[in-house]
Amino acid sequence: MIRLAFRNLFQNKARLVISVGGVALALLLILSLDAIFSGVERQVTAYVEHSGADIWVSQADVRNMHMASSSLPYSVARKVKYVPGVASVTPILYLTNNVVSGDERSLAYIIGLPENAEFGVPWSISSGSSLPGKGEVILNRNIAANSGVALGDEVEILGDEFKVTGFSEGTASLVNSVAFITMDDFEEMRGSYNTVSFLLVKVSAGESPEIVTDRIEAQVRDVTAQTKSDFAAQERQVIKDMSTDVITIMNLIGFLIGLAVMALTVYTSTLSRRREYGMLKALGARNSDLYVTVLAQAILSVILGFLFGLILTLLLTVVIPLFGSNLALEVSRASLFKVGSVSLVIATVSAMLPIRQIAGLDPAMVFRGR
Amino acid sequence: MIKVSHVQGETLQIDHVTKSYGSGATEVTAVRNVSLTVNPGEIVLIMGPSGSGKTTLLSMLGALLKPTEGTIQLNGTMISTLAENRLPDIRLKQFGFIFQDFNLLSALTALENVAIVAELAGTKSGVARRKAASILNELGLSERLNFPPEKLSGGEKQRVAIARALVNDPGLILADEPTANLDSKIGHEIMRLLRNIAKEQGRSVIIVSHDQRIKDIADRILWLEDGEFKETVTMAIDPVCGMAVEREKAVSAEWEGQVFYFCARGCRDEFLKEPKKFLLTASEESSKKT
Ligand SMILES: Nc1ncnc2c1ncn2[C@@H]1O[C@H](COP(=O)(O)OP(=O)(O)OP(=O)(O)O)[C@@H](O)[C@H]1O
Ligand SMILES: [Mg+2]
Repeated sequence: MIRLAFRNLFQNKARLVISVGGVALALLLILSLDAIFSGVERQVTAYVEHSGADIWVSQADVRNMHMASSSLPYSVARKVKYVPGVASVTPILYLTNNVVSGDERSLAYIIGLPENAEFGVPWSISSGSSLPGKGEVILNRNIAANSGVALGDEVEILGDEFKVTGFSEGTASLVNSVAFITMDDFEEMRGSYNTVSFLLVKVSAGESPEIVTDRIEAQVRDVTAQTKSDFAAQERQVIKDMSTDVITIMNLIGFLIGLAVMALTVYTSTLSRRREYGMLKALGARNSDLYVTVLAQAILSVILGFLFGLILTLLLTVVIPLFGSNLALEVSRASLFKVGSVSLVIATVSAMLPIRQIAGLDPAMVFRGR
Repeated sequence: MIKVSHVQGETLQIDHVTKSYGSGATEVTAVRNVSLTVNPGEIVLIMGPSGSGKTTLLSMLGALLKPTEGTIQLNGTMISTLAENRLPDIRLKQFGFIFQDFNLLSALTALENVAIVAELAGTKSGVARRKAASILNELGLSERLNFPPEKLSGGEKQRVAIARALVNDPGLILADEPTANLDSKIGHEIMRLLRNIAKEQGRSVIIVSHDQRIKDIADRILWLEDGEFKETVTMAIDPVCGMAVEREKAVSAEWEGQVFYFCARGCRDEFLKEPKKFLLTASEESSKKT
């Protein structure tokens, strides 16, 4: 009966293309949206992941960077330095603002780095200097290219002029990029001194970041300390919280489109083979034999649809960056599992629709009117 | 010749069977109080005008339809009262069906069309395919095993359908107008096949047909009219000239306790002069016919 399912499926090419194509597009909708948000999550946490710090210390109850601001008195840096197990502390300043070049403006995490900073610095430089000097800024290469900014050009941040002296890579996402300036310039630009945003802590060799984190929170008042991975997870959570509703709606739409396409093709395919199925019943096939055939057809076309959808998504992940877009798609295992399950549900539900139709077939019809 | 083993003959017996469709004012009695016993190896032809109930009767014989009244027994098993879920198995293993328009599965090859029915009966795929191939070879279709039905001629399609009907070694073959869609040469070929199936393999064959030529291979012809048997004709072969003759109308002669039937007096007289000579030719004649 499985062979029959196979043959039936491939006999009607037009119907096969419609069902496989329809399912593929529906699943592409789900897969690519997931991939976009996975990509964004990775991009948004890129700075945290590449900071080199083991622990991030912030103002009490501030747990991430995006859409948040943290302010600590400079003195806290010294206190943290004395916590046992802390090897070094790099303070950074941070705010989100526009980098303006002529008419072009792009949102960026503005990071103020102390002189000779060890951590939180650009980790991949494509050209120019690797640390900003006074009055200088290091921008993301793609962002700069998109707004036509070259090395040596001037850009404006919070009303002050900065000279672009370096381009970094991997520092842009769909939503923003990272721009590096000196801490002095940052303080001057903002007009406030002796505060920092975050402390990037490196633990001594052999110390566990978790334990040192607890020690910092116990010994220094009014701070929140998190390991790098906790901090990154918080950052991802912000994206998740923002995207859940969109993803849910799009998943539902994708699911319904896939289901509608499949239900329709399975139903019409069964209808068009009424006579053949009736004949099989007359010869002695049971309803269950015929259900298996219909279910196998549905599962086969959904599997094909899934594979096509996946191939299309993977193609997008390769092709989109070629167009210089900051959109990075990333197909996650969780998303594959989810879409796989959705596919199975689509196949099963659509195969259940013609059950009544099959059960109602009268085998005696084979000898009757044609 | 088909070399499938001689099957255990099956006896189909129907007693006082009536089938009515609908109820009240719209009630139609398609088959009325019909009784019939079909013996192993017997070919029964059912003829009759349109609407006389032939299809209804055949459907009941094939356990596709339950009689309103009366009983149908297959080798002593009452199949007319059997639970619905036991019938598929009986149809699969005891009956072989042959249809006017062949009813092959369009997506499968000739071989697969036959094998799938064996698989439905629980035969393993490899064995089913070998069995299907061997029957198709015997029916002269060895070059057509992997052809889809659309690439087969009418006669080839009907031979595939016959192979399908035989693959589970049923004792009974039910055929509805098996030659109606075939030209006369091919129709003859199919009739010859059906006769082999009965005479060499011991299967009972029940045929519904308008085709007068089928009379030649039938052992018995039943005339159905208004749902009732009007006339029964038992066929015999004239041992002298080899013609198929209706016993009820023929001249007959008895020799060594056996009754022989002749197309005319001349043949009978010739027979009686030297019966042994004709008995030999008669058996040769019948095997030539088959
Ligand atoms: N499912 C049904 N419901 C109601 N009436 C039916 C049904 N099937 C057959 N009949 C009626 O029963 C009678 C016998 O029909 P049947 O099909 O058995 O005749 P038939 O001898 O096979 O005719 P034909 O030679 O035209 O095929 C007809 O009057 C027909 O209208
Ligand atoms: Mg009929």
